[in-house]
Amino acid sequence: MISRRDFFKGAGAVAVSAAAVSRAGAATLPEAASAADANTQVPPPPPNGRHFNPVVTLNGWSLPWRMNNGVKEFHLVAEPVVRELAPGMKANLWGYNGQSPGPTIEVVEGDRVRIFVTNRLPEITSIHWHGQRLPNGMDGVTGITQPAIAPGKTFVYEFVARRPGTFMYHPHADEMTQMAMGMMGFWVTHPKDPSQHAVDRDFVFLLNAYDIEPGSYTPKVNTMLDFNLWTFNSRVFPGIDPLVIRQGDKVRIRVGNLTMTNHPIHMHGHEFVVTGTDGGWTPPGSRWPEVTTDVAVGQMRAIEFTATDPGDWALHCHKSHHTMNAMGHDVPTLIGVDHRGVAEKINRIVPDYMVMGEKGGSMGGMQMPLPENTLPMMTGEGPFGNVEMGGMFTVMKVRPGLKRGDYRDPGWYRHPAGTLAYEWTGALPEPARSGSAGGHLMPARGQGNVELKVRKPTKGHHGH
Amino acid sequence: MKAIDMNAARMRCVAAALGALALAGCAGPAPDGGLGEVSTLAAQRIGQPVKLDASSREAAEEQVAQLLAQPLTADSAVQLALMNNPGLKASLGELGVAGSELVQAGRLRNPSIGFGRIGNGADKEIDRSVIFDLAGLLTMPVRVNIEQRRFEQAKLNAAAQVLRLASETRQAYFVAVAAAQSAAFADQVRGAAEASSELAERMSRTGNWSKLDQARERAFFDDALTQQARARHEAVASREQLARLLGLWGDRPAFTLPDRLPELPAAPLEPQNAEGSALAQRLDVLAARRDAEASAASLGLTRTTRFINVFEAGYANKSASGEPRANGYEVTLELPLFDWGGARVARAEALYMQSVHRTADVAVRARSEVREAYSAYRTNYDIARHYRDQVVPLRKQISDEVLLRYNGMLASVFELLADARDQLNAVNAAIEAQRDFWLAEARLQDAMHGGANKEQGAAQ
Repeated sequence: MISRRDFFKGAGAVAVSAAAVSRAGAATLPEAASAADANTQVPPPPPNGRHFNPVVTLNGWSLPWRMNNGVKEFHLVAEPVVRELAPGMKANLWGYNGQSPGPTIEVVEGDRVRIFVTNRLPEITSIHWHGQRLPNGMDGVTGITQPAIAPGKTFVYEFVARRPGTFMYHPHADEMTQMAMGMMGFWVTHPKDPSQHAVDRDFVFLLNAYDIEPGSYTPKVNTMLDFNLWTFNSRVFPGIDPLVIRQGDKVRIRVGNLTMTNHPIHMHGHEFVVTGTDGGWTPPGSRWPEVTTDVAVGQMRAIEFTATDPGDWALHCHKSHHTMNAMGHDVPTLIGVDHRGVAEKINRIVPDYMVMGEKGGSMGGMQMPLPENTLPMMTGEGPFGNVEMGGMFTVMKVRPGLKRGDYRDPGWYRHPAGTLAYEWTGALPEPARSGSAGGHLMPARGQGNVELKVRKPTKGHHGH
Repeated sequence: MKAIDMNAARMRCVAAALGALALAGCAGPAPDGGLGEVSTLAAQRIGQPVKLDASSREAAEEQVAQLLAQPLTADSAVQLALMNNPGLKASLGELGVAGSELVQAGRLRNPSIGFGRIGNGADKEIDRSVIFDLAGLLTMPVRVNIEQRRFEQAKLNAAAQVLRLASETRQAYFVAVAAAQSAAFADQVRGAAEASSELAERMSRTGNWSKLDQARERAFFDDALTQQARARHEAVASREQLARLLGLWGDRPAFTLPDRLPELPAAPLEPQNAEGSALAQRLDVLAARRDAEASAASLGLTRTTRFINVFEAGYANKSASGEPRANGYEVTLELPLFDWGGARVARAEALYMQSVHRTADVAVRARSEVREAYSAYRTNYDIARHYRDQVVPLRKQISDEVLLRYNGMLASVFELLADARDQLNAVNAAIEAQRDFWLAEARLQDAMHGGANKEQGAAQ
């Protein structure tokens, strides 16, 4: 196997690609390229077949193919992988071709596609091509449309990518386990006409979630809803790459949701429209502006906007616990609790104990040792201090004058004079406060004391 | 002919008896009343010098004060107990009694003189006699032998008492040290529970916690309080038990115990010939063997005297008025016509066989007890080492991990404190395991050297 990066390195992508094909060609199976790390790998223009504008998979890559008598052939290998969720934390997952999620498959409307799927998992699998129109026997539902792919076996799926749009692939065999272990990938079918829906930058990522106990490496596959790591493409902040955008670019972000809950994806600084759903492109007349779009379970959304305003703009799920990493669900609230005396007593028994939480949940940049392979609950260092974020959170970096195709991190935004919030150092007059909270409709009674009194009815209401 | 033979034999007996009389003087107890020998017997088995006879009261006082100046060790506690325990002193008194009985056995009964006068009018008859305990003289060597054995037995008993006291003291010492250590831990557990409870109360006051949660934490605290009270009493009770064995009372300076039990030995004892050495060493085995030997000797005596029931010989004279004094001696000899002494011999033989069987029984018990005691010793060693090397470090590791989770706000302070309590409890269990090892060690030493005191008590 060769790594995707090596694949594109050197004299030319085409030549290397051809060499790879010829080597594997002897075995009549396309080369199963593999990625070794979690960096965003910007794909080159397609070396053969119909032209399209490749997408950028956040912290991911696109799968190379070979043309075989006009058929685009891909090779996916389902296998155990170790994925870095963020620097400092790795997870034992199942994925495809060295990573989870697997590589993005990009084809063009009308392409005949042949996908070889090799199962190197310890159990059966299959692949369902989520959202595609295809012959029923290619739909990948174990037991219904095909036998399961046994460990060690290779199956071939073949169909024409009829409908352009945004798709996903994932197993339809022991789904709960296999998706909890990270088996999924993105699929984009580009329109025949590259100028149709053309954008300058087209980002894609999947929403996924894991339940990995602090100190462990493998997700708990039987977790139903209480996941503790909410991820974009199996990465958590600060491990998620920024979306680097040239000011003035027309930008598309495609998001697919393979978690078990919905995610209101929220963008700062710009409004966008939803241009695509699972079903296809939305008619322009039906689009309305949003700053948050809810991506329901099993759904995909394509949103588009023009990046007019330079800066570092947050892009995140608006469920606040989805922008945190693993945290204790049963940690009681200590806000406002006086710790004097008690802390000393605790220190006598637990010498390294430190009071936390009596002023809120903010860690205030505390650097404290954590369990092995565990990320801080809220983290990330920004130009002005701790970001205190985790999970489904990243930043869109809109800058003027970037080169087309340049996705390198431009660093933190430098705010022009007079455009940055600042501290007020003048006088602070006491604000006028209302003395009659609740107003006339619901006047406050009992000076704020809430007392429960049982008042028995004096008459009537018998026999209830 | 026969009478002459008898006479000759008798004279030989008398000569032997007189010879024995001379010897009996030397066969008396040593000037220290056998204490030195008991000390040696005990010291060989305890493994440390034993000094039972203090040269002077002042010297003893000084030595006690010296021992009390330092925190006690198991050995110094034993030393103190042997010098100070009033029960042991009383037992050693018995040794003196047995010793004087031995001396008594080596002495002849005083001869007695009888004088009788019977008047019949003018006729008077005067009887004069000197009764000399010839039988006593003849049986003296045997009696001395018996008393000698009884004295030996008394010494063995005294040594057994010493060993028992030493073992009890060692055990009480380990129990007392462990109890003090546990009480200190109970204080810490109470501290953890108190912190939890206090924090819960403040959280409840601030409105962050319900009365239910607060009450639960309070219940933990209340449990910890009672545990602490019990642990403290245990410490006092076990300390007092030790004080009693040490024979310390009010005006003595208080003894101090070390903070911790002694460390486990690097390697456990290997059971090399433990049973064999128990048979050679154990005092109850020795006592049983001596008893069998004594029975054998008395069986021999019975065999040789089977025809003589009451053997009395004495000088007698008789004078009656108007008649010359008649002088002579009296010998009574039983004729073995109806009782050939067979029953007595059979009885003695049965007694002998009984003591032989008892010896075998004691030996069987001794070996079995050693095996059992070794198993207890080894098991407790392994458990204590397991606690020291595995359980406690693991508990510590768990606590460290919980602290890391607390740091990451993955676990609450209450989990942290609950775990601290668990850790303290594990340490407490480790202390108990260590204590049980030392108790088992004391019992193994007892089984190898002292012997089953309970059996001995039952036999007496």
